[in-house]
Amino acid sequence: MALQNFDMNYGAQFGSLWPSIRIGLLSEQKYGALVNNFSHVGRISQDLRSLNAVDFVYESQKAALHVPWDSPVEQVRSEETAPEETRNEQLSVEKTQTPPLLSTSISPNIKCYTFSRGNISRFPPSRPDTSGILGYYLLDAASLLPVLVLNVQPGDLVLDLCAAPGGKTLALLQTGCCRQLAANDISASRVSRLRKVLDSYVPKAVGSNVRLTSWDGRNWGELERDTYNRVLVDVPCTTDRHSVMEEDNNIFHRLRMKERQMLPMLQMQLLLAGLLAAQPGGEVVYSTCSLSQLQNECVVERAVELAEIQFNISVHVEDLSYFRSVFQDTFSFFKDCRLGELVLPHLTANFGPMYFCKLRREQ
Amino acid sequence: AQAGPHAASFCPLLNSGCRLVFVAASEWSGGSSSSTGWEQDSDEPAHNGQLLEAVHLVLAVQQRHANIESSELEKVLDSFSNMGFSNAQIMELFSLQPKFAPEMRLMVVCELILLGLDPDSTLMVLQRSPEVLRMTAQQLRHRADCLRKLGLGEGNLQRVLRRYPTIFTLPWKKIDAVVRMFKTCLFPVAQVTEILQSCPNVLLEEPQDLEYKFQYAYFRMGIDHRVMVKSGLFRMSLAELKNRHIFLERLGLYQTPDKKGQTQIVNPKLKEIIRVSQKDFLAKMAHSSLEEFEVFRKLLAREEEEDQARVSEETDSDSDGEEERSEIE
Ligand SMILES: C[S@@+](CC[C@H](N)C(=O)[O-])C[C@H]1O[C@@H](n2cnc3c(N)ncnc32)[C@H](O)[C@@H]1O
Repeated sequence: MALQNFDMNYGAQFGSLWPSIRIGLLSEQKYGALVNNFSHVGRISQDLRSLNAVDFVYESQKAALHVPWDSPVEQVRSEETAPEETRNEQLSVEKTQTPPLLSTSISPNIKCYTFSRGNISRFPPSRPDTSGILGYYLLDAASLLPVLVLNVQPGDLVLDLCAAPGGKTLALLQTGCCRQLAANDISASRVSRLRKVLDSYVPKAVGSNVRLTSWDGRNWGELERDTYNRVLVDVPCTTDRHSVMEEDNNIFHRLRMKERQMLPMLQMQLLLAGLLAAQPGGEVVYSTCSLSQLQNECVVERAVELAEIQFNISVHVEDLSYFRSVFQDTFSFFKDCRLGELVLPHLTANFGPMYFCKLRREQ
Repeated sequence: AQAGPHAASFCPLLNSGCRLVFVAASEWSGGSSSSTGWEQDSDEPAHNGQLLEAVHLVLAVQQRHANIESSELEKVLDSFSNMGFSNAQIMELFSLQPKFAPEMRLMVVCELILLGLDPDSTLMVLQRSPEVLRMTAQQLRHRADCLRKLGLGEGNLQRVLRRYPTIFTLPWKKIDAVVRMFKTCLFPVAQVTEILQSCPNVLLEEPQDLEYKFQYAYFRMGIDHRVMVKSGLFRMSLAELKNRHIFLERLGLYQTPDKKGQTQIVNPKLKEIIRVSQKDFLAKMAHSSLEEFEVFRKLLAREEEEDQARVSEETDSDSDGEEERSEIE
């Protein structure tokens, strides 16, 4: 069912690229191991390296240093690469040594190991250390891109509007930057899963900076307007990879037709709520794990329009092509997004789909 | 040179008194024996004393049949020469499977020549499948007759012998099982013959593997018997067939026909899928890269392995971890 729908819609949308995306969707996806900075980082990283995995966040930024970007690269070159070992041990943001140019645009302190292109190895499940904390969290490495691009800064108030089951919440906490993190999901049962994830990865002290709620995200404009420095809006979507693999009860089932048709509307409302919850000058990242233009660019365009018309808020959509170029060795990006960036599944780098778009609320 | 009565009883060819001359045979000068002088004479029609000595020496070194009378051995060597074997080839013949007596060697070689092989091919067959030497003339003849009845007549028989000599040493039960399997799968007799002629290797495969391949092509790919035969389905390994088919299927270029035999796209022809090089398959049919195909093969192999493990494990359900599932919801 889902596949038929995709063949029709995505066949038209992606043309000759579609077959290679399709086979990616239908074949085993790749994972990344998000290192838990609240565990024994050095040892965990070493273990992961001994599996032949590499920290793609670090490697990409290192490589990017050699890519000349227009402006002030030269002046900051001096303090570039710190040896990785010391980098791994650092949690506090002040000491962060991410490459300088990018440190101004990428959330710091996130380490995620992946196997190189074409390598189909898997990570073993993470085991708890003596204090019961797990060393890494397995997730689609592409789902870190929205968090990286959110560019969390020390002392930020951060909202994760649709947070469960919590992969991105956990990544946000790894930055060590959130003064307060509000993690919300409409589903109470999924919030309790999120709580379990936090319990097994984050020490109590850090967990206490996290506020868990299960409200309808669409109402955030009324609940906490103009509040947050950073907002992540990781909306429910057609979850394309999931839908082609699980034929039963996916969102393309006939009985869920209404729900599916309502998705773009819901997504648009959630993004709009996220924009309202952001402070003027605050940044919002919208993300989905769908390839559908209707759920991606179109939603962004509509939300920006409505924010302007209904709330007199002007929103700037950021150009992320520099970001794409930094990570293009690890992921296969779609070159022709009107707005934002889209990671395409591809057999040799089978991550995604993951769409993300960064918006800034103007002052 | 008339062969003596002893040798004649092994080799009917010599009975007739006809002398076989294979033009190419005397020019053959390969072989691994070291240069001891006798091979220079190889274009002389009959053996000479040096060859006799050399063979004696081989037998002595092998510590087998060392006590054979020179006159006996001479007759055997004579017969080989008459059949067109060069001295070097005769040395090769004696170096194979020392445990068999020279007379038996002669007998088997004779039978192969009678089946229409030339000395070169005969030697090659024996080198590749020395176990053929264990057969009696009667067994070889019988096997040939049976294969002829299956449709592997002249021409085909020689090809089979050259390419798959072990088909002559397999238990007949095994061959019969393969043929019966094809009939059970409802291939008409003429098609079975065609399969055996074009893909004699099937006789060496396990019937249940072949049946699985048939079912895969029939049910999964929607291919009928005639097309399977004409396209040479049984020449491709099951693993490679699956690699190519599932690759195309996931790319959206191949569909299993529905109950009415219909598909939404036009499937490529089986022949175009399996009878082309991998390079052409990727470039012209799949429009994909070698890099992707290589990753896909690895993934598919692992999928299959794990499917199998799952099937044999029966029920050991809830093993997928929480975290792994998390992202896809
Ligand atoms: C794609 S998932 C989020 C995944 C999560 N960010 C992560 O990285 O693990 C979308 C989530 O949105 C939640 N959701 C759906 N409608 C919502 C709404 N109106 N308000 C808030 N959350 C909602 C769903 O329960 C679901 O957990």
